[in-house]
Amino acid sequence: MFLRMLKFSWRNVWRNARRTVITGLAVGFGLASLLFTEGLMQGMTDHMVDATTDPWMGDVQIHREGFLDTRQLELTVNRPGEVMDSLSGDSLVQAFTPRILSPASLSSARELKPVTLIGVDGRSDPGVTMLRAAIDTGSYLSGDSMEIILGHRLAEDLEVELGDVLVITAAGTDSGLASSMFLLSGICNFGSEQLDRYSAFVNIRTAGDLLDLGDGFHEIAMVLPDPELARDTSLSLWDRYSAHGNSALGWTDLSPQISSMLDLVNISMLIMSAILFGLVIFGIVNSLFMSVYERMFELGIMKAVGTRPGTIGAMVVMEAFWLGLISTVIGLVLGILLIWITSGTGISFGEIEFSGITFSRPIYPDIDPGRAWMYPVFTILLVGLAGIFPGIHAARQNPAESMRRSL
Amino acid sequence: MDNDMRDDVIVTEGVEKTYDDSGVPVHAVRGIDYRLSKGEFTAIIGPSGSGKTTFLNLMAGLDTPTEGKVWLSGRLISDMSGRELSDFRRDNIGFIFQAYNLFPVLTVEENVEYIMLLQGVPGKERHDRVMGILEKVGLADLSGRLPLKLSGGQQQRVAVARAMVSDPSLVIADEPTANLDSATSGELLDMMRQLNEDTGMTFLFSTHDEIVMERARKIVVLRDGRIDGNADPKDFQ
Repeated sequence: MFLRMLKFSWRNVWRNARRTVITGLAVGFGLASLLFTEGLMQGMTDHMVDATTDPWMGDVQIHREGFLDTRQLELTVNRPGEVMDSLSGDSLVQAFTPRILSPASLSSARELKPVTLIGVDGRSDPGVTMLRAAIDTGSYLSGDSMEIILGHRLAEDLEVELGDVLVITAAGTDSGLASSMFLLSGICNFGSEQLDRYSAFVNIRTAGDLLDLGDGFHEIAMVLPDPELARDTSLSLWDRYSAHGNSALGWTDLSPQISSMLDLVNISMLIMSAILFGLVIFGIVNSLFMSVYERMFELGIMKAVGTRPGTIGAMVVMEAFWLGLISTVIGLVLGILLIWITSGTGISFGEIEFSGITFSRPIYPDIDPGRAWMYPVFTILLVGLAGIFPGIHAARQNPAESMRRSL
Repeated sequence: MDNDMRDDVIVTEGVEKTYDDSGVPVHAVRGIDYRLSKGEFTAIIGPSGSGKTTFLNLMAGLDTPTEGKVWLSGRLISDMSGRELSDFRRDNIGFIFQAYNLFPVLTVEENVEYIMLLQGVPGKERHDRVMGILEKVGLADLSGRLPLKLSGGQQQRVAVARAMVSDPSLVIADEPTANLDSATSGELLDMMRQLNEDTGMTFLFSTHDEIVMERARKIVVLRDGRIDGNADPKDFQ
């Protein structure tokens, strides 16, 4: 009986093929736009996370407790050798690099600018950051104690070119000032104001000598197989590296504004989904009511010959279910096609800056099946649920009244 | 139910139906006492607005009386409601309406078997009974067609087959020839009367059509919601 009613309702759906196709397209377009928006948001999210973690930050950083708040020079990572050994043997850590960070002033023959002096380990840094890839002119750090890399904006501000002399002055751990001379060996372009205008990169050993830190360093940046892992608080690495006075933090804690931005994106999607699904429900209820009113006499006959009210209601809900399925197929085909096309070509936002991140490259929509499955499933479920109201209305009709009013 | 009712398919006692038409009460049926015996082939006639269809609906359990009682096959149906009444109609009454009788998305065979499907009759038995009744109404070779591909007369034959296939106590036909030409109406009524004679099934019509009246065995005249006596079918021949 159930299968027969399913067949019966399928045929009923196609009695007015034009209406079914129009309804299916309306709901399908809604679903496709949701899928596409989800894909676009996923692409933007990936871009924002990549733009946050790839160039410089890494996915997780280890510092001495209190360093991020005070930036005190002497707060170097505790037990550095032990931590580095542990990281070397950690299967979850893809790459890591130590850094020295200190405020300093940088002077050229013409200008003086405040900068963050960054000591970089030229051997391990390329596995973690994009410094080497970001060099526009000149070369990456080779280990020479005289070499320094500046961002292109800082180089412009200081009016220097490759080979020009620069002097860094910084406060050492003994509170005395230390200076050192460098030759500009590379100019980089990260597309980030902070890195391009306020950072100077030198070899870590040179920075350690200048600041009198010995083998100490302030920060270890590491890369995990997937940045999303840094959001997983159940991972053992948090306990392992947040020990001996050190603290391990993921990019969501290091860059909370980006994390909040991603939460906002999720909430936006939720609101948009609620609005679209609401419209879909009203559209389907309207379409089904039209269909029920058109068939009032027939529904009266169905009741007259002994069809139970529940069976009539179920038939209308099944019709809604079929409409939902048809709409979902249309929506999936359109949505996936749109995502597939744009994921190849990308969508350019023309260098706009959003929450401190420049969309310098096109956004490539990407669909995460783990999240996207809910849209087609909700479409079918909600459209099916939308059939309940007209279904109850059809089930409650008095057969004699239905036939009398229809004639 | 008393012993006198045993040979009656339908018994009504003081049945009344009053509609509310925008605040104005309309007395469609005014206290009818009526008995329909097994095997009858009876037509209810009367002018438009006399209450024929309303009275038929009350006897069929399609509507509930404002006052009075209706027994069908010995069961008091005027007190039934919902699922119980649906199941009772399914198992005891066959319906033929004046038009749009059939479900347009079902084939002839599916239309005829529909009630047996509701009754849970097994597939093989359903098929055999459907083909048997379609044979009787002369439409066995059109069993796979959709109703819209049939003539009006053929559609009404399918409706007759559907009404009779589950072997109900009573077949109720509301103006079954209203949309048919005279020749087709005559053929349809002849066929129904033959089935009535062959099976002993009880038929009750409401009609304006003299073709129905001349073939009925009994005629009940309804006027202003009351029975206004009987008419002689010979008067219409």
